[in-house]
Amino acid sequence: MSEVVQKSIKTNSKSKKKVNQIPFGVVLLIGLIGFGFFMANQSPKSAVMWVFGVAAGFTLQRSRFCFTASMRDPVLTGSTSLTKAVIIAIATATVGFASIQYGAVIKGAEKIPGNISPVGIHVAIGAFMFGIGMVIAGGCASGTLMRVGEGFTMQMLSIVFFIIGSLWGAKDFGWWTNTFISKTKPVFLPNLIGWAPALLIQFGLLLALYILADWYGNRKSE
Amino acid sequence: MAELRLDCLGEACPVPLLKTQKKMEGMKVGDILVVEIDHSCAMKNVPEWARKEGHNVEIEEVDDGQWEIYIEKTK
Repeated sequence: MSEVVQKSIKTNSKSKKKVNQIPFGVVLLIGLIGFGFFMANQSPKSAVMWVFGVAAGFTLQRSRFCFTASMRDPVLTGSTSLTKAVIIAIATATVGFASIQYGAVIKGAEKIPGNISPVGIHVAIGAFMFGIGMVIAGGCASGTLMRVGEGFTMQMLSIVFFIIGSLWGAKDFGWWTNTFISKTKPVFLPNLIGWAPALLIQFGLLLALYILADWYGNRKSE
Repeated sequence: MAELRLDCLGEACPVPLLKTQKKMEGMKVGDILVVEIDHSCAMKNVPEWARKEGHNVEIEEVDDGQWEIYIEKTK
């Protein structure tokens, strides 16, 4: 640490004595587990979702993971560390999804697990609108939820309008279905070109994006 | 050697970083900028940017969920 900065911190330090947070953490953990057991009695599936939800939220918060920043920062600030993190996350998820789906296909499942939805112009329109919204609101769905949990006041406003927007979207979903979605087909690459080429293309593209992001992030600014 | 403060309390990402970048441009070498933030995401991207630029950076948690980032301009 630089001496100058060190000195500046010392003269400025108005940090007051903080309350020990460990007891709160223990109480919260017991509460979380207790609520999990309570839910498992009603429906085991909800308890599993509860565990995954809590784990995902914890990881998001502690890692400062942010889907918004992964798309926004390369353009705005030139940083691509979160872009690379999202690419790694997608690659990891691909491994999981592929094994679950391939396993189901081998067992002769009629419907491949996962939300395989039609692609078309509606995806581009929706992505564009969502992209504008998430940069202004300072977070996507998971990011906004996480920061509300952290206690960031501005994003409590975001979440109110996020809910209003979602309800509005649900109201208009019938129109989108009739006009665009019903006219397009779901695309599942393994069905089109086979499992090995599909996975090869997916990982190849992700690797290419990663290399591109790494190069872009290490560029000398100006 | 001057010490400047930048109030970014209540500002969501990426506003603190953009304000910091602008403020740092007009500072002299050796000056220290204290950025006050309360958005956890700024605690990641502001120091990351400043370190990449080669400045000295230190983070202090001054209160629960409130931080000060010390940046010494080195070039």
